[in-house]
Amino acid sequence: MLQKIVIHNYRVFRDFTLDFTAGMNILVGDNDAGKSTLLEAVNLALTGRVQSRQLSQDLSPYMFNLDTTGEFVAALKAGGHPQPPELIVDLYLDVSDVTAPLRGTNNSTGENACGLRFRAAFNPEFTAEYEEFIKKPDAIRVIPTEYYRCEWLGFSGNPVTYRSVPATASMIDATAIRLQSGADFYLQDIISNNLSPADRVELTRAYRSLREEFAGNDSIAAINAKLKASPGDVSDRDLSLGIDISQRASWESSLVPHLNDLPFTFVGKGEQSSLKILLALNRKVDAAHIILVEEPENHLSFSRMNILIRKILDKCDGRQVLATTHSSYVLNKLGLEQLVLVTPTGGMRLSGLTTGTQNYFRKLSGYDTLRLILARRAILVEGPSDELIVQRAYLDVHGQLPIEDGIDVISVGLAFRRFLELAVPLQRSTAVVRDNDGKDPATVADRYARFTKHDFIAVHVGAAAGGSTLEPQLLAANDRDTLNEIFGTSFDTDDALVDHMTANKTTCALAIFESATKLNMPGYIQDAVG
Amino acid sequence: MPSAEHLAIIAAAGSRKTEFVVNEALAHDDKRVLITTYTLNNLGCVEDRTYGKVGRVPQHITITSWYGFLLNQWCRPYQRAVLGAPGVIRGLDFESTRSRFVRQSQAQQYYCNRSGDIYADWTADFAVKLNDATSGDVAHRLEAMYDEIYVDEVQDLVGYDLDVLDALLSSEIHIVMVGDPRQHTYATNQNTRNRKYRGAGLRDWFTERKDICALQTNTVSYRSNQAICDFADALFPHLPGTTSANAEVTTPTGIVMLKPAELAGYMAAHNPAILRHSVTSNTFGFGGMNFGASKGSTFDHVVIFPTQPIKHYLKTRDPGVLADEARSKLYVAITRARHSVAFVV
Repeated sequence: MLQKIVIHNYRVFRDFTLDFTAGMNILVGDNDAGKSTLLEAVNLALTGRVQSRQLSQDLSPYMFNLDTTGEFVAALKAGGHPQPPELIVDLYLDVSDVTAPLRGTNNSTGENACGLRFRAAFNPEFTAEYEEFIKKPDAIRVIPTEYYRCEWLGFSGNPVTYRSVPATASMIDATAIRLQSGADFYLQDIISNNLSPADRVELTRAYRSLREEFAGNDSIAAINAKLKASPGDVSDRDLSLGIDISQRASWESSLVPHLNDLPFTFVGKGEQSSLKILLALNRKVDAAHIILVEEPENHLSFSRMNILIRKILDKCDGRQVLATTHSSYVLNKLGLEQLVLVTPTGGMRLSGLTTGTQNYFRKLSGYDTLRLILARRAILVEGPSDELIVQRAYLDVHGQLPIEDGIDVISVGLAFRRFLELAVPLQRSTAVVRDNDGKDPATVADRYARFTKHDFIAVHVGAAAGGSTLEPQLLAANDRDTLNEIFGTSFDTDDALVDHMTANKTTCALAIFESATKLNMPGYIQDAVG
Repeated sequence: MPSAEHLAIIAAAGSRKTEFVVNEALAHDDKRVLITTYTLNNLGCVEDRTYGKVGRVPQHITITSWYGFLLNQWCRPYQRAVLGAPGVIRGLDFESTRSRFVRQSQAQQYYCNRSGDIYADWTADFAVKLNDATSGDVAHRLEAMYDEIYVDEVQDLVGYDLDVLDALLSSEIHIVMVGDPRQHTYATNQNTRNRKYRGAGLRDWFTERKDICALQTNTVSYRSNQAICDFADALFPHLPGTTSANAEVTTPTGIVMLKPAELAGYMAAHNPAILRHSVTSNTFGFGGMNFGASKGSTFDHVVIFPTQPIKHYLKTRDPGVLADEARSKLYVAITRARHSVAFVV
């Protein structure tokens, strides 16, 4: 099992630490927060590869954190002597007899732990070249990775090989489907992991005899005889056709999985990605197998996704899964308590949520839980009419809609407290806008006391004088004529107008939202958008 | 105190030491076994024998050189405990040693050269320092990796190597050490520590640890006949004598003195192996193998080109005329033979 990851200077992560839990870990975060990079880093530590290419062969300056690069370059230009930055990914594993050879203190934290380290650092053998290189600091824009060397080590300080790593991972990135010839690397890996060593030997043997049969085939023999008979223009040697029987040309490069007789590449992308995920999940060989899933919702219809999620839940029992997602549906189904909000320095968990709240969000699958998680600031309202009015109020004050400032106005019905419970560990700036429902506003606000003690949470309740709900509040802040004009109505009494508004909540709210006239917004709404 | 009793075997040349080690390791396939030995020559013998018996090195067995063991399993994992930083050590430096002016407080310069290679002479010292500095983490890690460790040709280990062995003896791992003090022709380092336990002194070292490590003496040679055994034993009169289990009668047999003029005829008739002190020894154009390099080999007939001290010994039969190393090398050369040893005098 993976216990922890520590990353230095790898892409978006300058200094990053995240503890993993057993079972499911769902990584969410803004675009560019580094969810995919985190999976990539885990995979790098486990395989030495990034996107199925060995990073040691493929190290580029763009693998380094931009801030680190910027500081390094700036320091060089300022005439300083900065040390060339190191790229480090340390992956901590459970202590066991199997991982014991990987034990040691060659890691970032100096703990006596079992784990894997990928490190790209300046190679002192290139000191002479490097000294030349930094003589012209103005020409330097990036880290000179051509003078770097990569090491893939255990915390023991000893090199590891793909075979000697006790934990294996299937990286399932449904968007990256690379199939130039035969089965792509992921698929190959997944397939061969599913096969027992005996199966693999049989497959290799059958493939080899197939190739041999080809050469022995009568028509091929005749063709080769013909080729041999025709004198070569370029070479005196005999020319013949045959199948490559070198070691390199093993079954992996030629055999293609078929679904209902369709080659894998011709199957829909959705089917491909769910197949890949299921193949990885089906692997039974060892519990140390870790599954990395990149956005399982990709290319999948809703119903298919539902099936897939159920399978993931069934199959991942007892094994560790790291999944990224943008879908609150996936998040809700897999369990909110497993959520990890990825930030550039680490991750934050919601394991502190009460079971009731977790269950609430799990049942509300269609609900946009992620909106609260991903918003910079949230304004929680009761229903769609409140949502429209708050949006308009914000527009009047700030000249643009709240969403353009990363502020999400979310209708949550009566579930304010559920959302607030989520907002607390997220430290998400959140405002509640609600009616007083005919009660003393102070009493209503008091119900949220345990949340409002945090300075990032505020509750705004309609004043008693303004009426019990939004509609009388709007009327109280304006006058009957203005509203009649906006709605295109001509009610004689306030009561009749409020009745109309209450009976046509959304229509009226929409009219206000779209109106050219600026209304006076009730005080509690002004407070919330101010 | 570990309850499992460790084992040390002092065994005569030709008593099938390596055979014993390999057989034990193969038999214990429910255990995770490490076999280690100093010379690459002998490491090759261990591997060859394993391949010869089962065609592969089974998964439960790891075969590694003593220095590889020290570097990878002792020095690297916890290097920061003494060096202060991870990932410093790159390899080993067998060529040079540190400047006399470096103080121990400058740990990196004290133990490593500039490219991060650890000085071979100080590797074992560094290893035990790390184990102490980590309160035994180095040994604990090994306990999780191996159930049994076999050290073949243990007489080659000297200086701080013995402290490493002590750390292993106080671990949970079952330790088996096999060697012949008389064949102390190589030493892993030139360290002066534990000097008195070099060579024949190794027996004393074992004796001092008899509470945790049983000492067996194996005095049967399956290789050399009794005449050769007696001749070889005479070099180490205070060690127990060797009994031969080779009763085959051949011509020539036993110890033979050969004149240079007789050499060509003798070579043609018996095809003996030629053993010499070094490449500079005059073997009348017959080539030959150095004494030291012959360790582990077996030949029917052997011809030895003696050095001046050996010639002196042949006259006086007083082992005192030979330096320790010369005596051990002569012992190795003599005990290569099954049937006869001829000296060219």
